[in-house]
Amino acid sequence: MDITLRHSPASEVRAALRDLTPVMVGLAPFALLIGVTGVRSGVGGGTGVLSSALLLGGSAQLTGLTMLAGGAPPLAVVAAVTLVNARFLLYAAALEPGFRDQPRWFRWVGPQFVVDPTYAMAARRDDLADPRRFRRYWLAAGVGLGTVWVGLTVLGVVLAPVLPESAALDVAAPAMFLAVLVPQLRARPARAGASAAAVTAVVASPLPDGLGLLCGIAAGVLAATLVDRSAS
Amino acid sequence: MIVLLAAAVATYALRTVLITLVPAHRLPATVRRGLGHLAPAALAALVATAVVGHRGVPVLLVPGPVHTALVALAAAALVAWRTRNPALPVLAAVAVAIVAEVVT
Repeated sequence: MDITLRHSPASEVRAALRDLTPVMVGLAPFALLIGVTGVRSGVGGGTGVLSSALLLGGSAQLTGLTMLAGGAPPLAVVAAVTLVNARFLLYAAALEPGFRDQPRWFRWVGPQFVVDPTYAMAARRDDLADPRRFRRYWLAAGVGLGTVWVGLTVLGVVLAPVLPESAALDVAAPAMFLAVLVPQLRARPARAGASAAAVTAVVASPLPDGLGLLCGIAAGVLAATLVDRSAS
Repeated sequence: MIVLLAAAVATYALRTVLITLVPAHRLPATVRRGLGHLAPAALAALVATAVVGHRGVPVLLVPGPVHTALVALAAAALVAWRTRNPALPVLAAVAVAIVAEVVT
């Protein structure tokens, strides 16, 4: 009976929404900031909301909105957004086993929800080997995230005139990433990877949009792999 | 509008290519092993770049908003370590940042 309940279609949806709720608490200020930035930068609240619906990736959205507001050429904006989002290529590669043995429509629709929080949520779960379970979990997490993300961006647009300038909005997103990261640091390769990634990302941060981040990720993966190999 | 659409298409291609077009299981074994270590590296790099922006190492040496963010994130890390609750670290960081703003 218990097994039947745990494997019912609704259970994956519930699990996804349960995992998503605290993540959205962390992301809420970030989504608000997108809406606020759209209004205050002069590109318009509608553009901010549209960027949330189309891109679903906060750092690339902020980059794109800021560049549009500064009058950057369209090709430069597209290139910068692509560079900032290049890590999704790696996330997609890591998530690919979950997309194997899935219906064709899911293999085309599902990847739209590949983004930091959904990747982190799925990577932490070890009960999604069954394709149907993965599909339900992923769609619930992705659609839920997208809906709330766009909704909060709209709220940011509405509240932009009254929200004060505050660093509190800026620390929420990295704090959410830390909340997901810290529990993974029990393993030595993870600690080595995270340290190398953070140091490299800081040193390389003056590089053009997104490159510092990518250098950090690459250095972290390399360091963790080397430590893992030396331990085994 | 067209710029955002073009950026969305490029981003969708990044998300799709190693899932639908060239499945990642066809990648070399070394690369696939490395992907298993992606999460902590990506999360740490995201935190680091969120703190320093594009300003590099020097910004860490000058007292200012970055130090406030570091203190707030240190509080978040401590809470994350102690509680394993994903929401509390965010609330802790936001609270510390607000208190620091009020005090200074």
